[in-house]
Amino acid sequence: MYQAIAFRTAYLLTGSSADAEDAAQTGFVKAWAALPRFRPGAPFRPWLLRIVANEAHNRRRSARRRAELQLRTTAAYPQGDAAPSPEGAALGRERREELLAAVNRLDERDRDVLTCRYFLELSEDETADVLGVRRGTVKSRTARALARLAEAVER
Amino acid sequence: MTELERALTVLGREVDVPEAPDLAVVVLARLERGPRPRTRRRLALAVAFVVLAALAATLAIPEARSAFFRVFEIGGERIELVDELPAVAPAPTELDLELVLGERVTLDKARGEAGFDLRELDEVPDRVYLGSRGTVWFLFGTPERVRLLVAQTPRHSFAQDFMLKKLAGAGTRIEPVAVSGSPGLFLSGEPHVVLLLDSEGQVVDESARLAQQVLVWENDGVAYRLEGDFDKEKALRLARALR
Repeated sequence: MYQAIAFRTAYLLTGSSADAEDAAQTGFVKAWAALPRFRPGAPFRPWLLRIVANEAHNRRRSARRRAELQLRTTAAYPQGDAAPSPEGAALGRERREELLAAVNRLDERDRDVLTCRYFLELSEDETADVLGVRRGTVKSRTARALARLAEAVER
Repeated sequence: MTELERALTVLGREVDVPEAPDLAVVVLARLERGPRPRTRRRLALAVAFVVLAALAATLAIPEARSAFFRVFEIGGERIELVDELPAVAPAPTELDLELVLGERVTLDKARGEAGFDLRELDEVPDRVYLGSRGTVWFLFGTPERVRLLVAQTPRHSFAQDFMLKKLAGAGTRIEPVAVSGSPGLFLSGEPHVVLLLDSEGQVVDESARLAQQVLVWENDGVAYRLEGDFDKEKALRLARALR
């Protein structure tokens, strides 16, 4: 279970399958070594994802840029996997591609907070843990990133 | 949530993310290759590892099936999640129980021979046993109708001689708990099976005395185990009362 979310987090932050796999692996190894510092009773997922996200950031910095995220093609939905939701279908592929392109063009900070909040569907508290910032910072960064995204989409 | 936020959430589900590779094998290999930590650190890591593994189990998601998440260790006990449990032995007779628990002694003798400060409840146990691995057992009730079993085992003799291996089925709920600041596990739900492996690798089925809820934790080099028909809150109350 944690493997899937760790890999997904790393992939959404790096846009590269190889970097994501490496970041997730290293994240697990580092998490294991850091477990004595983990406070029992604290939420585990954001703690693990923060380590993985740090690894992903390191790899993204080395690569100097994040590869752009792409939409799945209809054929790419494995059997039994979630097909586009009714809302997704209603959104329209062209609109979704535009929106994703606009997300791809945002700066790193805006993209990361939107990735955590909406692509990974983390709460504000979890996002704060993963990005290593305060909850208030998550709120303000999210609001600014959404405003910039709305502006980019409306252009 | 605004329309844009909803659109982003929908979009996130449709971003092309490759299928996650199986990381467990590589991660375990990397951990194996790593420097061998010193004993105290190994202990700390093993205890802490419980938290990671137990969280995965508590959420009881079927994908939590990789080797990385299937083994728990605490206080010298190794708990493995298995798909199918071996047959559980029938309820113990008095003879079975004494064979498993060890030599019946007085409480005074146990205090003198334990080699560590025994913790006791306010209530005096009905029977006391000195078992293998230096374990001191307190039995409350009768062998036919055990109300509570308390085991206290000094860790030093664990790894060299015996390994306690519990096999927990998929229906066994394993919850991380804290007992006065020490990490522990509360096992409930479906029964689990206890196997004792001696230094020759021989298996001694210890499950005869087992079928109820279990709380295990470790403090100051001693592994504690409570077994009885209690819920988590009561188990924790008992654990805190063990002084």
